Amino acid sequence: MNSHVEQALASLKSGNPEDVERALETLQEVVYGFGMKVCGVREDAEDTAQETLIRLARQLKDFPDARALAVWLYKVAKTQCLMSRRKSKFAPAQMLSLDALMPKESDAAAPGVKSWEVTPEEILLNKELRSKLKDAVLALPKHYRLVLILRDMEQLDTREVAEVMGISEETTKMRLHRARVFLRNALAGYVRRAEMPEAKTHA
Amino acid sequence: MPDRHCKQIFAMLSEYLDEQLPVKNCRELERHLKGCAPCIAYLESLKTTVEACRGYKAPRAPAPSREVKAALLAAIQRSHRRQ
Repeated sequence: MNSHVEQALASLKSGNPEDVERALETLQEVVYGFGMKVCGVREDAEDTAQETLIRLARQLKDFPDARALAVWLYKVAKTQCLMSRRKSKFAPAQMLSLDALMPKESDAAAPGVKSWEVTPEEILLNKELRSKLKDAVLALPKHYRLVLILRDMEQLDTREVAEVMGISEETTKMRLHRARVFLRNALAGYVRRAEMPEAKTHA
Repeated sequence: MPDRHCKQIFAMLSEYLDEQLPVKNCRELERHLKGCAPCIAYLESLKTTVEACRGYKAPRAPAPSREVKAALLAAIQRSHRRQ
């Protein structure tokens, strides 16, 4: 669960205007950030944050805990993102097949490119790699993209993601794995590929 | 044709990384990994990808609009008056 949402709920409950304002800024960061990751377009992320927070104000209820608030926020923000598609580039809905995603023996490392020994920090600090990661996320079909963003970027647990998406935990896990493999393979064009599982018997 | 066992292992890698794999499958996967360097390498690259996603930050948000601020403050005040 997103720890920022937990802090925000405590501040909202206090009723103190300064705390409420701080909570609002936190929630704005959370929802706008989610919108940017899903839509990739600033205007759409702004619309998502605005509409989601206005709805929160209109339908403010006594959320029993931060988890309930987080699930509600992401559910509404997800719907807003899908509606504000006028500028965002959503890949057409499609299924990702695990067979097709399994790396091929022919995906040999390009000479001279960086090794997969790259650390997550190096990916994030390298402007080009970070941009490739962002582009790969945006290239994911929307249902896979949403699951990956909710689970790996927003760090919700599997059950929370399933709840936000309105799907089973099994489907959540299946989509998550395919989305991760898709990203990993997309980045592999920029970092030297690990020897692929298939290569063991066919090298 | 890919190695059948590698293919089965490939399907379980995310659940393994998330520590959500049932014990029986976990043992099977770890047994396989002991003898399969390519699967270990792939697992490591997948783990790096997941960790990069966890560290990925979106650009900072602009300040909330006045309209949103006013609506939320009013809603909070209403809700406190009702209590």
